[in-house]
Amino acid sequence: MRRTLLSLAAVLALSIFTPAFAQEPQHGGTLKLHWGTLDTADFHRHTGTISLPHVFAETLTTISKDGSPKGLLAESWTISDDGLIYTFNIRQGVKFHNGRVMTAEDVRKNFERIQREVKGGWLTSAMEQVESFSAPDEKTFVVKLRAPFAPFLNLIAEGWILAPESPGWDANITQPIGTGPFTFDSWTPQIAIKGQKFADYWMEGKPYVDAIEFDVREIADASLALRAGDYHAADIPLSKIDALKADGIAIDFSGDTSWNFLSFNNRKPRPPFNNVRVREAIAYAIDKAAIMKIAAGEYGMPGNQMVTEGNFFFDAGLAANDKHAKPDFERAKAILAEEGVDPGDTTIYMISELNNRTAAPIAQILRQLGFKVDNKPFDDLGFQRALSEYDWDVFPGGSGPRNDIFLRYVRMMSDGPNPGLWGGVQDPEFDALVKAAISTVDKNESRALYLKAWRRVLDNYYTVVLGHSPGAYGIRPEVHGLTIGFNTSAHRADGGVAFTWIEQ
Amino acid sequence: MNPRLVRLLGSIGLDLLRSLAIAAGIVVFTFFVIRMIPGDVVDLKGIEGSLTYSQQSAMREELGLNRGWLDQFWLWLGMVFSGDLGMSARYSTPIADLLATVIPSTLALGAAALGIGLVLGIGLPTLACLFPRSIFVALVEFITIWSITIPTFSIGILCVIVFAVWLGWIPAIGNFAVPALILGLDIAGTIAKMLHEDMTEIQTADFIRTARAKGLARVRIVLRHILPNALTTVIALIGLILASVLTGALTMEIVFGLPGLGTLALQAIKGRDYPVVQAVIIWLGFAVVMANFVTDMVQKLVDPRLRNL
Repeated sequence: MRRTLLSLAAVLALSIFTPAFAQEPQHGGTLKLHWGTLDTADFHRHTGTISLPHVFAETLTTISKDGSPKGLLAESWTISDDGLIYTFNIRQGVKFHNGRVMTAEDVRKNFERIQREVKGGWLTSAMEQVESFSAPDEKTFVVKLRAPFAPFLNLIAEGWILAPESPGWDANITQPIGTGPFTFDSWTPQIAIKGQKFADYWMEGKPYVDAIEFDVREIADASLALRAGDYHAADIPLSKIDALKADGIAIDFSGDTSWNFLSFNNRKPRPPFNNVRVREAIAYAIDKAAIMKIAAGEYGMPGNQMVTEGNFFFDAGLAANDKHAKPDFERAKAILAEEGVDPGDTTIYMISELNNRTAAPIAQILRQLGFKVDNKPFDDLGFQRALSEYDWDVFPGGSGPRNDIFLRYVRMMSDGPNPGLWGGVQDPEFDALVKAAISTVDKNESRALYLKAWRRVLDNYYTVVLGHSPGAYGIRPEVHGLTIGFNTSAHRADGGVAFTWIEQ
Repeated sequence: MNPRLVRLLGSIGLDLLRSLAIAAGIVVFTFFVIRMIPGDVVDLKGIEGSLTYSQQSAMREELGLNRGWLDQFWLWLGMVFSGDLGMSARYSTPIADLLATVIPSTLALGAAALGIGLVLGIGLPTLACLFPRSIFVALVEFITIWSITIPTFSIGILCVIVFAVWLGWIPAIGNFAVPALILGLDIAGTIAKMLHEDMTEIQTADFIRTARAKGLARVRIVLRHILPNALTTVIALIGLILASVLTGALTMEIVFGLPGLGTLALQAIKGRDYPVVQAVIIWLGFAVVMANFVTDMVQKLVDPRLRNL
């Protein structure tokens, strides 16, 4: 009895004291990550590098786990009532990696460079709305817009602030000098990015680790290296989660999701798919739950919207009334018969990416409906090119997390970027609704307009949403404080690598 | 000058010219073939960062992708002859820097693998010939079956799981010794099979019977008479292996996360980074020419019958 009591006392003592001790951050070590990629050291010209630049160069805002903007280099901001003037209070005492203190004038020069130099990518939409930038004093940066533009704060979460003395500033920056928790020491394309702790970093006491290494190599199975301890954290396929958990590796998910869909050719539709009822029939035949299970296993979330539950732009009512939540084959056949379509007479020309796991089951469903299906798989770029040629009927696709809901809607606009992904929708009414949504200062009103635009997508069957899946990251047990944000950014105002420490 | 030496040099010179012509053909052929694959680097930037069609068109103009293929070819050829391999269209970094990163690693892995392959691939059949009733015969058979039946990719993954994940003896990425050993065994099996068969056949030849009748020691017969004769065919095989190791070991690079020419080439093709693909092809052409040249020279030195061909 005495021994039992002593054991209980020991357990109690451990449970009280151990967590407090374990949660005290330790300094030192090199944080090794297999995470994201980088296509250019000139971050302003980035096209798809949202994961990594923040670690080395910061932005006025970053995106919180719930998708809202949070100040990083901007301590706070105000927006005029008409939504045209954004006044940012720039954080004071922030130093660039060359030791110079950052000012509002530096911020202005960066935004002007972005507006002048960047010809494509996420920021161009925001920059097109800008009438002027100004820095009336050392700590104030003012942006004047031509018209209200609701996504502005979220989009500038990729407007990196670099010292204008960064080598290559006038042409192509080769060595970015930022204010991030780590200095940008070396970048070997497709191999590694390395940085040292920035001793004068403005977040007191951070970062905890001495150095950081991003391994951007393509390797057969990153989860093996994670299990072996070569990486402290890595982005991992959903199929590896169980094996990693069994090895004591923690899993965290991004706040935003990737979504899968089946799109029709909306720009040059061929009979019978120029008939909205035929597209509706296809939607009735699709078994979303089964396809999402194939695509993402137990993490697949069937749905009918661009976003999932928990997102501000999600509509619970719309989800509850999804008439395609379950497949209805008889209904699908009946609609085809009503429209005088004999599936046996129609060959569906489907294009897909080689690694798309939804293509085969979708083709099979279409065949069961009686259609002949000619599925032509391409590699990534061949697929992109084939999409833009609009010589196809349907394609199964997917799209990843975005900083703002606008970046999902904009691709369905008539003059939007990469319109092929959703079949080149050309719907002036949809365009007008999205334009109204981004021009509306009131958030709830903006949401209502976005949802109205989405209703048009549903009613016209431009695309059929199959569902969503999260981005997964494995984190080794000796790593503490590392949390995954809304998207894949490795450093944020409220988390990421600056907050991470390694148990020595 | 010695007429035999003149003939030898002439023969080598012709071989060199022939190899150079083949390499040039490969380079020109690849230049056009890579452009036949649908998509280009602007499509890649489009996927990653969203570009409108007008932005894509402007970017193609800037990168010269809107020009005719012949125009692009002459422009590129001019740059190459001026010693400039250009910049990566994807990363905007000098291609020379990209090559400088991967070629040493590729050469080191290739040299180590080739070394292991030659030592085992020549050593084991020689020992098996010297000691016909020993374990060496079984080892030759084992290594031969190993190289035929075990794909390097799967044994690589297995090694990572066992030695890196389970036992923790090696790092899962960036390990050099294990991939060199796996490749070396693969090469050894290929060489050993052919060499063992040739040595076994030569043992029954008349001149070997004569040597035995003269009372020559077995070691001398094997090393001075059987092995050199058997090596003439194996040298041609080694030439092919040499060319392949110089151009990168893609599977091992991907399994063990090694920076190498194979991965660089694969990524460049996937990303339609034409200037990088072309630079890699030049290196490949150079490697093949060098390998063929060295092989031919060694063969001609070893086998006098080939000098007049």
